[in-house]
Amino acid sequence: MTNNANVAAGQQKLRSKKGHERRVNGTIYTVLTVMSIVWLVPFVFLVLQSFRSYKLEKGGMVDYLLPKHFSLDNYAFLFEGSNFFSWLGKALIVALVAAAVAAVLIHLCAKLLDRGEDSHGRRIALIGGSLLAGFVALVAMTMAMQGFTLAGSWKNLAISLLLYALAGWIMARVYLKQDSKLLRTIPGYVLEDKHQGIKKFCAMFAEFGALALIIQCILAPMTMSQYVRWYGNTLTIALFTAVIQTAIVLSVSYSLSRLRFKGRKLIMNVVLILGLFPGFLTMITLYFLLKQLGLTQAGAVPGLILIYCASSGMGYYISKGFFDTIPKSLDESARIDGATRFQVFLKIIMPLAKPIVIYTILMAFMAPWGDYVFASYVAFGHQDGYNVAVGLYNWVNTNDFQNYFTRFCAGGVLVAVPITALFLALQKYYVEGVTGGAVKG
Amino acid sequence: MASLKLEHIKKVYDKNVVAVHDFNLEIKDKEFIVFVGPSGCGKSTTLRMIAGLEDISGGTLTIGDRVVNDVEPKDRDIAMVFQNYALYPHITVYENMAFSLRLRKMNNEEVHRRVCQAAEILGITEYLARKPKNLSGGQRQRVAIGRAIVREPQVFLMDEPLSNLDAKLRNQMRAEIILLRKRIDTTFIYVTHDQTEAMTLGDRIVIMKDGYIQQVGTPQEVFETPRNLFVAGFIGSPQMNFLKAKLVKSGNGYAAELYGIRVPLSEEKCALLAKNGTGTQDVILGVRPEHTQLVFNQTENTIEGTLRVNEMMGSELHLHVDLADGTSVILRIPTLDLTEEQRRGLTYGSKLRFTFPEKVAHLFDPKTEESLLFQEQ
Repeated sequence: MTNNANVAAGQQKLRSKKGHERRVNGTIYTVLTVMSIVWLVPFVFLVLQSFRSYKLEKGGMVDYLLPKHFSLDNYAFLFEGSNFFSWLGKALIVALVAAAVAAVLIHLCAKLLDRGEDSHGRRIALIGGSLLAGFVALVAMTMAMQGFTLAGSWKNLAISLLLYALAGWIMARVYLKQDSKLLRTIPGYVLEDKHQGIKKFCAMFAEFGALALIIQCILAPMTMSQYVRWYGNTLTIALFTAVIQTAIVLSVSYSLSRLRFKGRKLIMNVVLILGLFPGFLTMITLYFLLKQLGLTQAGAVPGLILIYCASSGMGYYISKGFFDTIPKSLDESARIDGATRFQVFLKIIMPLAKPIVIYTILMAFMAPWGDYVFASYVAFGHQDGYNVAVGLYNWVNTNDFQNYFTRFCAGGVLVAVPITALFLALQKYYVEGVTGGAVKG
Repeated sequence: MASLKLEHIKKVYDKNVVAVHDFNLEIKDKEFIVFVGPSGCGKSTTLRMIAGLEDISGGTLTIGDRVVNDVEPKDRDIAMVFQNYALYPHITVYENMAFSLRLRKMNNEEVHRRVCQAAEILGITEYLARKPKNLSGGQRQRVAIGRAIVREPQVFLMDEPLSNLDAKLRNQMRAEIILLRKRIDTTFIYVTHDQTEAMTLGDRIVIMKDGYIQQVGTPQEVFETPRNLFVAGFIGSPQMNFLKAKLVKSGNGYAAELYGIRVPLSEEKCALLAKNGTGTQDVILGVRPEHTQLVFNQTENTIEGTLRVNEMMGSELHLHVDLADGTSVILRIPTLDLTEEQRRGLTYGSKLRFTFPEKVAHLFDPKTEESLLFQEQ
């Protein structure tokens, strides 16, 4: 009896505990929901405004939230006078076709090799042949898309051929390397099941396509509107900064985490203290320095890249912390296996530190992407040197605010697109830990 | 395959902490050397200096006939197995083992041949396509060893490779290392704190303490003629019993007196003592637990003690006995030597008597802790 009573009491207790939990959770969820709505309202407002035509519904401040006529006028305005879409479309078509031709050819060669006897020369000949075919396809496609005009100048032709040769060389290296995995005809250990094969094919396709796209973008002329130019500036700055800064941050933090050199502690402390001063303190000095180098106004883009990358090594804390958690014995083991420090960094640490690499890239990309202060004073009124933030601000500031407000919104929405895409694509790496199984545990 | 020469090797940390003092050792080609000692004795540091992972603060290290003090680890042609395996978690077992070969730009067929061969030796062929995190501890250890043998290195270093495994697996892997050693005949340097591993694996054992080499010798030598108290206590399990005794002259030779008994020493020992110039003095007399005998009927020339703990190990008994002055002694008695009745008599607090043959006694100087019977080979 007592036993039963105890059980009943226990259940009662459990139930009341559950009820309590539910109430707490309910409150938390309610608060969070309200907060997120508060957070989201401005964004929703911005997006809605961007669809309000500046021709039909004039005015920045209107007393209704939903636009009366949904239209893409604002967006159209952003690209007015620019051949951006046809340029992009052509580039994409070229890239797709070239990639498809090359990938199919390479794949066919791989299949051929799979069956035949395995001799090194034969392999190189086949892969080389397929690459050449892909290369020719690429050149032909580009020329076709541009109407067989080689722009009349031998210089252009030389440059484009050089670029293609470079691309071909890179691809050859990539595929000769991949080939060793792709084609390994090993009894008992064959990587190449169907799924893997398709994956490899897609990877090849994407790589070749990206290369073709880049070449096409460099070669094909594009006329710019104001907005496209600013966007291009921002993108250039952010991409370069992301690459350079990531390289610097990762190598600094790896060195501080792994190497023991004189003054290591000192450097870390000094950097910590220097980091306490806001970067804006250096603004005036930086401007004069850049001015002397000719990197302001018209040269604002390289100037800004320089500024953003300048002190990037100081942001080593987080990635150093991450590197510290990767067991040192992995480094040591790799070094004994014959790797140089750099190979250890590249082949062992980088794949393991994927989450932090991605985090670093994202941070390095976002800072210049959204920056206003530095961008505005380095460009100093020179319109071609603006980034999007400065340009858009000038629209609503110097031009007619009432008139330009909706176009400003549209510009803002487009700015948010790449960042959103990046976050969506990369968020899973934020939480992914990949060191499992490295050491006992 | 190479010989190693370590001359006056020294390791100093931060200018004042000396981890290894003046380490001198010559390792012959294809020899299996074991560094053994308690933790913090400098054995791992020495190994890591040989590997090139630690700078050498002083002295010269020669592999083959090349001084390698300032040679990068990758150019020393050594392979090392780590205590925590240190497998690369992001690539498969196959790629783990092929990693070093690929860095050497070896062609695929050769890589494949070597990896498969190593996998076969170690019995891990079926795991080749897995990632390390999907393997058990023993399998990971095999992969780590496999990664080292595909290299066909000159010297094979192992840093406590078995200490992360459970007892049963450890015994099994120990046996496999012995077999492996037979198969890939090369120079091995093996670090452990486990004296069983040291005794069973090594051609020669290097016993270290506090950065100093205590003794170098074959397992037999260090067991039978320990050079000092530390080695005597470290090798053998349970450890050697140390009893206070007095060395006295008796006739032409010497005798040891302890706990009211008198042990006349053999001519051989007397000769050694005389050679070392030992006179009448206090000594420490060491007797291994397995060399003691229980005595039930005779009372003369036996030592009396009180039984404190009786550990039944199956084939033998470990008796912890307190002597008159409180010294604790362990006796290791084969179960079969005792009758049922005698065994039952061994209860807590019961008095018992034991003795030991003269020839198993070790004599140590209580001040220097050196053996009085040691002579250089």
